[in-house]
Amino acid sequence: MLAYAVRRILATIPVMLIVALFVFSLLYIAPGDPAAIIAGDQASVADVERIRASLGLDQPFVVRFGGWLWRILHGDLGTSIFTNLPVTQMIAQRIEPTLSLMIATLIFSLVCAIPMGVIAAWKHGTWIDRGVMILAVFGFSVPVFVVGYLLAYVFALQLNWLPVQGFTPLSRGFWPFLSNLILPTLALGGVYIALIARITRATMMEVLSQDYIRTARAKGVGQHAILFVHALKNAAVPIVTVVGLGVALLIGGAVVTESVFAIPGLGRLTVDAILRRDYPVIQGVVLLFSFMYVLVNLAVDLLYTLFDPRIRY
Amino acid sequence: MSVTSPALPDVLPPIRRRGRLRTLIRRNPTIAMGAALLGVVVFIAIFAPWLGTVDPTALAPAKRIRPPSEIYWFGTDMLGRDVYSRVMFGARVSLIVGFAVALLSSAIGTFIGVVSGYVRWLDSVIMRVMDGLMSIPPILLAIALMALTRGSVQNVIIAISVAETPRVARLIRGVVLSLREQPYVEAAIASGTRVPKIIWRHILPNTIAPLTVQATYICASAMITEAILSFIGAGTPPTVPSWGNIMAEGRALWQVKPYIVFFPAVFLSVTVLAVNLLGDGLRDALDPRLAKRL
Repeated sequence: MLAYAVRRILATIPVMLIVALFVFSLLYIAPGDPAAIIAGDQASVADVERIRASLGLDQPFVVRFGGWLWRILHGDLGTSIFTNLPVTQMIAQRIEPTLSLMIATLIFSLVCAIPMGVIAAWKHGTWIDRGVMILAVFGFSVPVFVVGYLLAYVFALQLNWLPVQGFTPLSRGFWPFLSNLILPTLALGGVYIALIARITRATMMEVLSQDYIRTARAKGVGQHAILFVHALKNAAVPIVTVVGLGVALLIGGAVVTESVFAIPGLGRLTVDAILRRDYPVIQGVVLLFSFMYVLVNLAVDLLYTLFDPRIRY
Repeated sequence: MSVTSPALPDVLPPIRRRGRLRTLIRRNPTIAMGAALLGVVVFIAIFAPWLGTVDPTALAPAKRIRPPSEIYWFGTDMLGRDVYSRVMFGARVSLIVGFAVALLSSAIGTFIGVVSGYVRWLDSVIMRVMDGLMSIPPILLAIALMALTRGSVQNVIIAISVAETPRVARLIRGVVLSLREQPYVEAAIASGTRVPKIIWRHILPNTIAPLTVQATYICASAMITEAILSFIGAGTPPTVPSWGNIMAEGRALWQVKPYIVFFPAVFLSVTVLAVNLLGDGLRDALDPRLAKRL
């Protein structure tokens, strides 16, 4: 097990290297000459050359990539072209709303989607099952910003139950924090719930048709215990895998959700950076999100043994 | 003397010939529903200029933000442009992006997948690169690529295709690897068939079913991604009437004039729903094994 964990952790290194290489190439081929931008309009050609040399921009690709990677490993993601602040600092300022939104959505989606999938599998073929599946198709089809506007229109503008936009940090109290988070969470959860409910239903149907479930039933185990103890535990591995893979949807969706609800998180940071062509910031955010995604899926892989002791590495 | 055979009575009732269309609808209601909805959107896209539309880019500052009425069915936006016309023409952008991305990423992904499944020494290199690309969330990857270039429909198609291709490559590689072990492929190898012919005659035809299903889902996700990119200002240029752009322009006013956002949102959702229904139907019809799993 330990050997497997070590091997699995080591296997993420080449993947992260490829991500880093890609993200670095982005800046490398990006239009615009950073040296010329820093030097300003009045600078002579010699000045620009001097700045370029001092920044190491005249070095070959491999050397620059190596240096860049070295700085990243030391926690330096570069400096924003627009604000002149370190990218790590800008990210640190914006990470709380994004993480809050993603964690809230993750919890909310799991709480909704798993019972939905379990009940759909149990009542397979009935109108409950069909209803869940139709909801799932809608969840996949209605884009997150459409759901967002719809929710905000109904619950914030018409009914006036919740704030329309914005974000309140947790330090200012739990209810203000939560009330701002409810609508974005519902909007972002749509696709994720659809994804998890569907895989839960499929796996549960497979597990429920197995012999040991029949045995448990014959033995007189209650329906509730069969579904949530005997069956769900054995259906956990595919579900957890999809939960991990779905984090990509969550990350992509967060960018949009933050735009709709004016949440000052990493998504807004990305959108602003794109509009300003602030490449170091774009790089930093892409790198951070990808790293997060890889880590989540690493954790999922390592969790397998917990859910299914038969899996030994 | 001639013998005529007595006329035989019709013992069997005439076979009721059901129309092929009706059979299709009865057997695959999801395909039929998806195809019908998509057909409507395709019709709108093709015949947009003749559906009572005006120039979708024509400005009329005097007629700004008019609510929906008999003249302006979906109202007008901040610059006085007719939202109905913009939404009708927007169908073109979404469909072109969806179909083009599905085709492009299927073609490139199939090529990469076949090479990876057939050329052993390249396999691990290609698959690591694909893993790397897949660990960047697709929307973020498309955003990063769009940040490099000018916004245009063509660049949007390329950026989304790059983000979607690894998934196709993965799928095709898996199919190729399992097909290589099939007895009929081994028989073809044993009888001296050349590799290109094996791939063309024996491998590729068997990838069509899973590829079609995957391409449909890619089409749906590409439409959403395009709308998202345009919505956050990293997609098609603002002059192009795409649904994402219309919504982006309506964003500033949505609390007071929600209809500017509402109409493109409905059309986008219905179109994506149509493609997803088509995908689900095709999956059930073409790939029963996968259908049971999902």
